[in-house]
Amino acid sequence: MLDTIAEALLFPGLTFFVWLAFVFEWLERKTVARMQGRIGPVVAGPAGILQPVADFFKLVGKEEIIPAFADKFVFEFGPPLFFAAPAIGVVFIPVIGPSALVSHPLDIIFILFILAFSAFMAAMLGYSSAGRYSTIGIGRLILQYTSYEIPMIIAVITPALLARDLSLDGIVAAQSGEWFIFLAPVSFACFIVAALAELEKPPFDIPSAKTELVAGWMTEFSGRALAYVKLTKNLSYVFLSAIAVTLFLGGPLGPMPAMVWWAQDLLYLVYFLVKLFAVGFLIFAIRSALARVRIDQAAGLFWTIVTPLSLLQLGIIMLLR
Amino acid sequence: MTDSPLDPKSEASAGLMQYSPENLVPFGPVHPSLKEPEYFKLYLEGEKIVQVVPRIGYVHRGIERAAQDRTWVQNIYLFERICGICSFAHSMAYTQTAERLTAFEVPRRARYIRLIIAELERIHSHLLWLGLVGYWTGFDTLFMWVWKDREHILDLFETITGNRVHKSFITISGVRNDLPENIIEPLKKEMKYLTGRVDYYSDLVSTEETLVARTRGVGRIDQDVARRLCPVGPLLRCTGIARDIRKEDPYAAYDELVPDVKTSNQGDIASLLLLRLEEIRESCRLVTDAIEKIPAGNVKLAVPRVIPAGDSVGHIEAPRGELFYFVRSAGGMKPERVKIRTCTMANILTATEMLKGHTLADVPVVLTGMDPCFGCMDRIAVVDVAKGKEWSVRGEELRLHGINWYKPGRQT
Repeated sequence: MLDTIAEALLFPGLTFFVWLAFVFEWLERKTVARMQGRIGPVVAGPAGILQPVADFFKLVGKEEIIPAFADKFVFEFGPPLFFAAPAIGVVFIPVIGPSALVSHPLDIIFILFILAFSAFMAAMLGYSSAGRYSTIGIGRLILQYTSYEIPMIIAVITPALLARDLSLDGIVAAQSGEWFIFLAPVSFACFIVAALAELEKPPFDIPSAKTELVAGWMTEFSGRALAYVKLTKNLSYVFLSAIAVTLFLGGPLGPMPAMVWWAQDLLYLVYFLVKLFAVGFLIFAIRSALARVRIDQAAGLFWTIVTPLSLLQLGIIMLLR
Repeated sequence: MTDSPLDPKSEASAGLMQYSPENLVPFGPVHPSLKEPEYFKLYLEGEKIVQVVPRIGYVHRGIERAAQDRTWVQNIYLFERICGICSFAHSMAYTQTAERLTAFEVPRRARYIRLIIAELERIHSHLLWLGLVGYWTGFDTLFMWVWKDREHILDLFETITGNRVHKSFITISGVRNDLPENIIEPLKKEMKYLTGRVDYYSDLVSTEETLVARTRGVGRIDQDVARRLCPVGPLLRCTGIARDIRKEDPYAAYDELVPDVKTSNQGDIASLLLLRLEEIRESCRLVTDAIEKIPAGNVKLAVPRVIPAGDSVGHIEAPRGELFYFVRSAGGMKPERVKIRTCTMANILTATEMLKGHTLADVPVVLTGMDPCFGCMDRIAVVDVAKGKEWSVRGEELRLHGINWYKPGRQT
């Protein structure tokens, strides 16, 4: 019991994923900068790898301003709850072996709940700050959420259908032969597009479009709250990439020679990280190659293209299986 | 609500009483999508914009007045500072207008050098604008790439004139320095490189789906609107009216190197993108031609301290369009009056027309579409519509008005 708690808090649980969140932010800033002909962070640490950590602690130490007409209770207690969603979710991800720390026959339902809860908390936080830009940003976020959630759910249940199992362990085990990305490539594509919308990355950074809404629903946050909101967004980034790896890329599975247990665990970890960064790079590449669409165009894209495509893939699989 | 013309709450002059204040969305004067303060009253019906009222004057700098206290040569450097992007266009327009009052025949070599700098500035201005369109549409990669290419032009400026932004290169009767040695090859090489980049960007802006979705059909105006509201520059040419001062009233060396005036007949932001890219290509050709055909000789005559008395009007094709200068000399060391009509002043009403019928999300893109430079444009005029008269306000009156305005307890 105690060692499970330790694993959930340290490795491969929360601390590991928070570290990954910082690494992801650094990788994103670095690769996007290189794609745009810039250098990216260089000051803190070798090649600027400590820059996200430095930014986080800088924000934590800054003065926190609460708007006069904000809903103070939600405004203050919202960020920890917002952080809790992906922080709890990460323990369901198999990292150093085919089974996760915590496993349940209905994992997928819980993962979907966490994704919905994240968007719900973002809406709560934005409305609680009662700023003009926040309110418009939340209006856009909710509209975007209603557009991308259905294709995302369909994309998530397609692997479950293929594996005939609702637990992540079962889905990973079912991919020991062939990864589901080869069986359901359209679902994977739909999942990535929906993930871009969930993460508010271009071309779906509409709720936080900086040239229109400053920082969207995050505008009024400052200091510690902003630090946690930003960390949560990065953690969601890792969390969604990890779900993509688990559902479509076989999780930590890969060719496994007979070795001592810790060497096997290490190899599982390496496989997992390679796949995770591959998904991350895919998202970096998409986000730096596209312009922001308007909210009506985004809704149109999801309802007329992404949702029918994901349904089509689901239908084909139901027919064939 | 009062009738005082100094009261910003007075709506009497704007004729907007039929639009209820609940539908008003204030856009500016401080807004994330405006780099310079300017206020646009947007009246919405739902998400749709039905009426736009610009309110100018937030960055009025009194440059026309300042010019009266400076000598003819000092003013060149003052007018450069009207705009950081088309600084050479301003100094050239002023210099040419002043030169008309004198008997100078500007040396041919100097006229060619002026053309080269003016065209390089057009390339730099259009590239900067293209990058900004990328920025407003959330396409940061385009923004970074274009601005990186723009650095090539700025480096050329530094090589030729010694400065990157405010060139301080032109002077009455010519240009201050000759071209540096061995500039021909690097200049040609850069022009070739930029032409290649323009090909790439033309391809990109017409095929990249997200960018096309944000720009095609957005901010569309037709020729009737253009004839009614008289925009200048690319905004006019994108409706199909081929007007270019370089061709219609040649100055510098444009009589010998005639530009090909590009037009488009779409009248939306997407066509503005392609039109400005075409103009960059044309400018590259002009610079290459000019550096090949440049004649030898002097680059300036003796710079005068006194300009003969008289009035003079001059105009040039700045990157943003037609730029007017009026200069009056009383025969002294300083101009008696300089009046400037910048391109944004002519374009701002057209931009408000372009906004109508679009949504709030299109506002940054459309406003950028006219390539605004509010700092260049701002001016103050006090008009009392009820009494039908217009007057200027003295500094002391403005100061007292400001004190009264911010008095504690004032009823607003």
